[in-house]
Amino acid sequence: MPDIQALVATLSGHDPEARAEAAEALCRAGTDAAAAAVPLTRACGDGDERVREWAVAALEELGPPPAGDVAALIPLAGDGHPLVAYWATTLLGRSGGAAAEATAALAAGLESGRDPAVAERAAWALGKIGPGAAAARPALERAAAAPDPRLARLAREALAAIGG
Amino acid sequence: MDVLFPSRRGRLLPIGLAALCLVAVAPRPASAQTVGPAPKPADAILVASFNIQVFGESKLAKQQVVEVLARVVRRFDIVAIQEVRAKSDEIVPSFVRAVNADGSRYSHVIGPRQGRTVSKEQYAFIYDTNRIEVDPSSVGVVPDPQNKLHRPPMHARFRTRINPVEMAFTFWLVDIHTDPDEVPQELDALVGVFQGMQAARPDEDDVILLGDLNAGPPEFKAFQRIPGVAWAVSGVPTNTRRSKTYDNLVFARPATAEYLGGWGVLDLQSTFGLPLEHALEVSDHNPVWGAFYPAEVRGQGLPPMAGAPPVRR
Repeated sequence: MPDIQALVATLSGHDPEARAEAAEALCRAGTDAAAAAVPLTRACGDGDERVREWAVAALEELGPPPAGDVAALIPLAGDGHPLVAYWATTLLGRSGGAAAEATAALAAGLESGRDPAVAERAAWALGKIGPGAAAARPALERAAAAPDPRLARLAREALAAIGG
Repeated sequence: MDVLFPSRRGRLLPIGLAALCLVAVAPRPASAQTVGPAPKPADAILVASFNIQVFGESKLAKQQVVEVLARVVRRFDIVAIQEVRAKSDEIVPSFVRAVNADGSRYSHVIGPRQGRTVSKEQYAFIYDTNRIEVDPSSVGVVPDPQNKLHRPPMHARFRTRINPVEMAFTFWLVDIHTDPDEVPQELDALVGVFQGMQAARPDEDDVILLGDLNAGPPEFKAFQRIPGVAWAVSGVPTNTRRSKTYDNLVFARPATAEYLGGWGVLDLQSTFGLPLEHALEVSDHNPVWGAFYPAEVRGQGLPPMAGAPPVRR
């Protein structure tokens, strides 16, 4: 099993070659890389394309992040880099009901208008949180009336999952 | 009468296909000298799907990885590729040159970059021009006006060159990589994609949807809405860690009566003698494949001794 913490340290280093190799190694670690969910999310904003692509590939496969990562992911859901925000939002959604505290941040992502993919994924994530995301109902109701068919559909599905 | 051999991970195969698979499981170092194109069976074409995880510049720079990938492709007549990820347009052309370094004559078609974020992927088909040709006007992307699919599938129509044109097997291939976070919704949408492709041309009844579905047969409930639906891979893991069945070939009976019932998962570790860590450098997915009769089958079914009897699923 690779030394995840050592790879995380390399991932935040100055050498782009080493960062890319670390991201690739974390990708090969599969679900073992869940412990690196937050650093990998930050790496989605790396200036080097290889680092970003391997980080994305790692995040696609690592499943839900550790429960303790929710607090660190919440600010990243509002990150200025859309790929960072997208993946933080995705990981919060994968956390399900355990990410209820992220409801306000996700509702903000839903309505920020900065990036359609982030808004759509925020609607999806709120649906995954379920009843714990009830505070986002007004934002989801507005999104359900959006002209974007995908956003509207995801918002309707989230409202159904939240219930009430 | 054909003698049937068990494949390494798949159904019983006629002797020609079995020989191909026995070659596949014999461990050889990745650096072994290439000795020219391997012979392929005359009574079948092998159609494969391979998610080459993050197939971009860093993977292409690893000579041993490229050699394994090239040896994989040379085993098949067509390979549907998922996860080409690069800003450069030279990844697949460079790779096809590596495939052809042994004298093979493969070519490719590639789709546009797709994805909802700045991280995009491309689909590609790599095919053996000695045995397969593509209709260039048929290459495209399935329309997705409701935005139900993260990466709408790429389609292309192929024809075998083994038989005279009037007998050749023609078929659509539809290449797909689903979003792992929206699998049920995307599988549901793929039913419409499949049926749309079935209706796309009145002279074409064969549609083979293949790729990384991020789901296995127990999750294929939506596909039951396709009359006569069948799939190749069942009960065998397709990821390199041998823990998940994610990749498959989906088609419909009786239209695609050309399916011979032969299929397999080309296990990278055992086929090339690679430890898991090195196999994962190639991809986190193993290639999957199905065998099809190379001539169009109409009405009376397959000719005698044309392969293992098809099995409905």
